[in-house]
Amino acid sequence: MQYSQKVLDHFMKPHNIGKLENPDVEATEGSPACGDQISIFLKINYETHIIEDIKFQSYGCASNIATGSIITDMAMGKTIEEAKNITWKGAAEELDGLPAVKMHCSVLAVDTLKKAIKKYEIEHGLAKAETFSKKTIIEELKKVIYPGVGEDIVTLKMVKYVGLENGVATIDVEIPKFDTHRDNVVEEIKEHLEAFDEIKEIKVTI
Amino acid sequence: MERIYFNNCLTSQPAREVIEIITAYMKDKYYFPENFISKGTEASNNLDNAKKIIADSMGADAKEIHFTSGGTAANNLAIKGYLTANSNKGTHIICSVIDYPDILTNAAFFENSGFDVTYLQNDNEGFIDLEQLKDSIRKDTILFMTTMGNHTVGTIQPIKEIRDILDSAKQKIVMHVDACEAYARIPIDVNELGIDLMSISAHKIHGPQGIGALYQRKGIVLGQIQHGVNRMDNLQTGGMNIASIAGFAKAVELAFNDLDANIAKIRKLSDYLLNKIESTIPDTLLNGPRGIKRISHNINISFDYIEGEAIMMMMDINGVSISTGSACASQGLKPNYVMMAIGRNHEQSHSSMKFTLSRYNTFQEIDYTVEKLAEVVKELRSRSPLCN
Repeated sequence: MQYSQKVLDHFMKPHNIGKLENPDVEATEGSPACGDQISIFLKINYETHIIEDIKFQSYGCASNIATGSIITDMAMGKTIEEAKNITWKGAAEELDGLPAVKMHCSVLAVDTLKKAIKKYEIEHGLAKAETFSKKTIIEELKKVIYPGVGEDIVTLKMVKYVGLENGVATIDVEIPKFDTHRDNVVEEIKEHLEAFDEIKEIKVTI
Repeated sequence: MERIYFNNCLTSQPAREVIEIITAYMKDKYYFPENFISKGTEASNNLDNAKKIIADSMGADAKEIHFTSGGTAANNLAIKGYLTANSNKGTHIICSVIDYPDILTNAAFFENSGFDVTYLQNDNEGFIDLEQLKDSIRKDTILFMTTMGNHTVGTIQPIKEIRDILDSAKQKIVMHVDACEAYARIPIDVNELGIDLMSISAHKIHGPQGIGALYQRKGIVLGQIQHGVNRMDNLQTGGMNIASIAGFAKAVELAFNDLDANIAKIRKLSDYLLNKIESTIPDTLLNGPRGIKRISHNINISFDYIEGEAIMMMMDINGVSISTGSACASQGLKPNYVMMAIGRNHEQSHSSMKFTLSRYNTFQEIDYTVEKLAEVVKELRSRSPLCN
């Protein structure tokens, strides 16, 4: 397993690294405890909705830094509608691929960008905050990557059941007992869902 | 500049003399031991001589040495061999939560097979809790296992004190020691320390890969775990790696020719590296004990605000090999279990870097490494939201 030359180039000399003074919006996702965190800062033209400047800061590994760099390149000069179409798979492809075990870095970078855009839209009356529902949980589970193959657990049909009742989220996941990524997937699910105030308890059964 | 290598706990560069003797054996001395015929007798004598060299390095008898395919095979032979042959005496084992995976996975295997395992806790320098050890001994305790020099933070366990505690039991408690990291880096006398079984590995001391040895104290019975043709004895079935055994013995000779001087040299290099890092780079934290209670070649240090895989990758691009305890560099994406067990938090574990030195490293290499490391740490900190 190794990084592409493009990943190494963006890692060694990341584009758009740093902090924007007086950004129109900023978002931070991940945490030092998980080993990766990204902050994204945006300057958006209020009239045209074009991203006129974007910067990021990274606490994380080489692929965390490289994906932060590539998505800021991809978003720069785009309208926020266009930027919302950036996907973690697209970002990974732009980097000539990422090792399966590193795909979650791309998910984190793109998710942070989308969170920042959503926040801007809500603050400027361009969108309403979404009502929390079971669908929100399923969308969030699409950000949990199974490190064995670098695909999300919903697409891989590993999620067998999602329930939400009185603030208790119940997730049934199918992972063989001998699978070395089992604990990691469960932890990832919990980390993703803990971010929602609406969820009081998370029950993951495997 | 040639690659600067600080991953000697993973594997080490074979010594020139080791390569020469292996080559000679592969060309002209590849024979297996056999009775009566000249080449077979010569091979047998050479094997006996190799065993003697290794035995002498630890105060053992040549008959107490078995060759294996490496440290893991030696650990498996010791643990599985002892427990399968002695389960009638008891079914309780003791080890610690910071042991090398060979020990922990074997402990888990026997736990699933009906044995009880006590996993000892440790302090924040990685020393196992001796009071807990005293309290854990039961009438049916038959085996204690430990990693003599911790593979992550370099802590040297107090083997003699442990032996005294084990001897307070009415029954014999066998002590198995994984010494793959400690061997040739601290003096070890199996009799002085009361070690019953001990694993060592050639490739960590500038010998060839794929060869190790198990010391088995006379009188300790091991069950056969690999069945097959008996060429040396029933614990070493199958063909023998004749050339590698010769290379192993040569590596031991080189290391033990002047062990004290070798250890002093490596400790001087390690101290120099640690002092230079601590005086050059702010916000660092040494993991494991300071000074002589640490294996001579290990420096493990955390760098605040940044993540270890990024440090490792940038240093690699600068021509320096070091390793990290970061989850991002592990296949399981988990923080290093030893770091967590010594009370470090996730961030300190993710930012921990391990340097393991050898006698081939130089002060100039360390100067270059710390110069580059300071640049790398500064650059990554400038990108980090945790310090900006």
